[in-house]
Amino acid sequence: MKKILYILLSLLFCAACTNETVSDANQETSLPHIYPDYIGVTIPVNIAPLCFNMADETALRIDAVITDSHGHNLHSQGEESTDFDIDDWHTLLSQNPGDSLTVTVSAKYDDGWHTYRPFSIYVSTDSIDYGICYRLIEPGYEVWSKMGIYERDLSSFDERPLIENTQFEGCVNCHSFNRGNAADMSLHIRGAHGATLLRHNNGPFIAYNTKTDQTLGLCVYPYWHPSGRYIAYSTNTTNQLFHSAGRNRIEVFDDASDLQVYDVEKNELLLSPLLKQDSVYETYPVFSADGRSLYFCAARALPEGSHQLDSIRYNLCRIDFDPETGNYGERIDTIVNAEALHKSVSFPRPSYDGRFLCYTLSDYGQFSIWHHEADLYLLDLATSQSRPMDEANSKETDSFHNWSTNSRWLVLSSRRDDGLFTRPYFCHIDAKGKVSKPFMLPQRNPRRFYRERFLSFNVPDFITAPTRFNSHQATRLINSNSRTPFGVRTSP
Amino acid sequence: MNERSQWSMVHGQWSMAMFTLLFGVAVLLFFGMAYPHHLHYQEQYQLFLFDRNYMWEIVKLPGGVADLLGRFCTQFFLFAWVGALIISVLLSAVQLLTLRLASWGRLYGLSFVPSCLLWLFLLDENALLGGVWAVLLSLLASWAFDHLPCGWTRRILLIIAIPVLYWMAGPVCILFFLLQAPKRLSWYYGLFVLLALLPILLSFYLPVPADKLWFGIHYHRYPTVFPVILWVAVLSIFVLTLIARALHRWANASHRIVVALCSFVVVIAGMGWIVWKNSNFKAEKVMQYDFMARHQQWNRILDTVNAEKPNNPIGVTVQNLALAMHGLLTDHLFEYNQNGISGLFPTVERDAISPLPTAEVFYQLGMVNVAQRTVFEAQEAILDFQKSARCYKRLAQTNLINGDYEVARKYLMALQKTLFYSDWANETLSLLGNEEAIAKHPEYGRLRQFAYKDDFYFSDHTTSQMLQSLFLSNTDNRLAYEYLLAYCLLTGDRETYYQFTSIKR
Repeated sequence: MKKILYILLSLLFCAACTNETVSDANQETSLPHIYPDYIGVTIPVNIAPLCFNMADETALRIDAVITDSHGHNLHSQGEESTDFDIDDWHTLLSQNPGDSLTVTVSAKYDDGWHTYRPFSIYVSTDSIDYGICYRLIEPGYEVWSKMGIYERDLSSFDERPLIENTQFEGCVNCHSFNRGNAADMSLHIRGAHGATLLRHNNGPFIAYNTKTDQTLGLCVYPYWHPSGRYIAYSTNTTNQLFHSAGRNRIEVFDDASDLQVYDVEKNELLLSPLLKQDSVYETYPVFSADGRSLYFCAARALPEGSHQLDSIRYNLCRIDFDPETGNYGERIDTIVNAEALHKSVSFPRPSYDGRFLCYTLSDYGQFSIWHHEADLYLLDLATSQSRPMDEANSKETDSFHNWSTNSRWLVLSSRRDDGLFTRPYFCHIDAKGKVSKPFMLPQRNPRRFYRERFLSFNVPDFITAPTRFNSHQATRLINSNSRTPFGVRTSP
Repeated sequence: MNERSQWSMVHGQWSMAMFTLLFGVAVLLFFGMAYPHHLHYQEQYQLFLFDRNYMWEIVKLPGGVADLLGRFCTQFFLFAWVGALIISVLLSAVQLLTLRLASWGRLYGLSFVPSCLLWLFLLDENALLGGVWAVLLSLLASWAFDHLPCGWTRRILLIIAIPVLYWMAGPVCILFFLLQAPKRLSWYYGLFVLLALLPILLSFYLPVPADKLWFGIHYHRYPTVFPVILWVAVLSIFVLTLIARALHRWANASHRIVVALCSFVVVIAGMGWIVWKNSNFKAEKVMQYDFMARHQQWNRILDTVNAEKPNNPIGVTVQNLALAMHGLLTDHLFEYNQNGISGLFPTVERDAISPLPTAEVFYQLGMVNVAQRTVFEAQEAILDFQKSARCYKRLAQTNLINGDYEVARKYLMALQKTLFYSDWANETLSLLGNEEAIAKHPEYGRLRQFAYKDDFYFSDHTTSQMLQSLFLSNTDNRLAYEYLLAYCLLTGDRETYYQFTSIKR
């Protein structure tokens, strides 16, 4: 009796994991509707398997065969999703850099199998960095629940927490690395145990109090100088208001904001009257690739008490910066006059090769992640010409972004999936500025994964290696009351 | 046959079963009749999903199995009597397992003390049922080990039981090791060292503060609260057992059932008095109003307010909403207790209690975005980071009304994995994208029509202008009209009052 039971169970198990043969399939002339939309995307040679589902949830099974021009192929079949073997996938990609793969998708419905017109995926010769780091948080208003900073290996599906707010009372935000190198790292903690944790040259973390009596408040948006010696910070007096109607829910705005650069080695903030004007909101500072300029967004300040938030429009500006002396230039140049177009610039990010600068353009304000109309634009720094990245943009919010260290990949935050929850997408940008169709961060069963995750991927940034962040040491540091104050130096 | 079993034989296990049953009925009646809305409150601050990932996230932490069992049971608190029955069974089980730890004799009544302390613990609406399950699991483990023969097998199993029970029940499992301590402790000290090392070791790996590994992660909703009464209950089991064992001869000198009955009566009367004195009936009343508003029991609310005229802020808010739903607010406003404009729109606090009744007002008025924000914030404010079925349901509704169907679908598909909300989720899913069906829907169609036409910014305070704008968006919005006039009456704004009464005429 036991034997029979074992045999039956084994048969049942085998039946459950056996692939069905795609037979007598109806040959469709259309492309398959798959989720995520990976049709015609360009991918790096070292990316994790692009598993996908049929967009139509009535499909009973999905089958995919990937072939290359050398006759190699990779097959996967599943009830919900394809699930390519990770080693075979990487082997196939490594055999096809600079070449296209052909994907043939079949789906089984109540009336049998349907095979769709094959589509291509182009494997770029440009690799992508080891991973990305992001904050996971519910896209909410003012109160926060569980959140944390996480890193994800882009060649696999592994996600690890760096630190979560279950370990202390407060919230974490604005993680920042020097060109993807976590040896230089900055991380803000807000709440009862507020601090800025800084690590320089792989040294120990130090908890700083970044608020000084000569600045508006705590340091906010960070950006590392390529030398690792400086960090540009904004200080912002930020407020929120809420829309009564319409698609945008929240308006995050500054009542005041200034810029400063922090000298990590001398522990002092470098201030300039040009960057802390009462009549101007300055924010989102970033260093140019050569470290000799500081780009930032600037808008004319609203009169006190005014809530004409839709009249706040930020331009992209630039000021010289001398890394040897820490001195600023004497003139501010407007690089993109968005105000003239009744638009507003946010999140400027220069590519590390100095060729381009990517920014977000929205109707007004600086917190474009809550603006459905927000799109990405690419500024060619050689010609000073900007253009919308139509290949990458969507009808929904496309906002925060960062460059890979080889300046060939852009990770962008998009709400195109459902209009609320931000997902990371990646697009390739070649030396001439040609932008490829973006692809969503791969997951083993993407529909299930993204549907069940009620969290937004916030501030995605590339990392060149695991961050080796010791969350327990960091937690002890956070929970201790010891904070090193920032010093201040005012430039003439 | 030992003395304990003789005592049991003589006095009859039936008698003791009757006392336990009496105790269980008392617990059932208390939670079913006097404290039902505390159970509803508990239920609304969790979202139990029949989902592998959800369960793994719970059980992977120390005390996770107890926490999972607690959450599983808490979902039944949607029906107060079922919840009361569950608590009653759990507390009775704790008493029965305590009873078998010693030969109590005259001290029989003391075996009810730990259960009564757990009862006391559960009076706090933020005390989690996982704490009671942790005690029960520890007692069950102890009971199972008592059936093992002495020797190396038992010792090896005890060593294995350390991490297993710590993982299942959390630090409360120390009760098991105290109860299993042999008379000669020698080698047993090693087990305590091992038990003490566990939290220290785990503190390097788990994303929770070290003190939570010592005192429990999910015994109480507030992460910074040390659940004193739960720990007193735990220690009382050990201490009372020691006392019963120490006074064994004296306690069992008399075998008369009346002695046991007396000790039962004394303990139950004493502990019952303590439980009653520590019950928060004011909070229960507030929770009742919240419950009635949640289930839109407008008639029942009017009956209740007519009987007792509430004077707590949430009661007044719900009372005014019910009056407005019946079109009685402006005419009868001052016949009831009022709380200024806070009685219409209480200031939204950043906690998990007050925002929900306020959000109900916003929702019924048609201020859908405001309601959505208020509900979202209430859910985010749940201190143990759980989600709320009530909030998910409302967020699905507000997103549906706003036409954000994919976001609504996300919430609905999560609710499909629940026991008691899945039918509603399935029904509502069929509405997504079906504009005609939504337009005809008595609630969603109406609220869509009432929604603001013009966009403006709002903050934490509702103003007369916001109500005017809402009413002018759709002058059929009777509720907005009632609230606007009530607002004018409460603020003494005669000009606006007469302006809008003339418009309506």
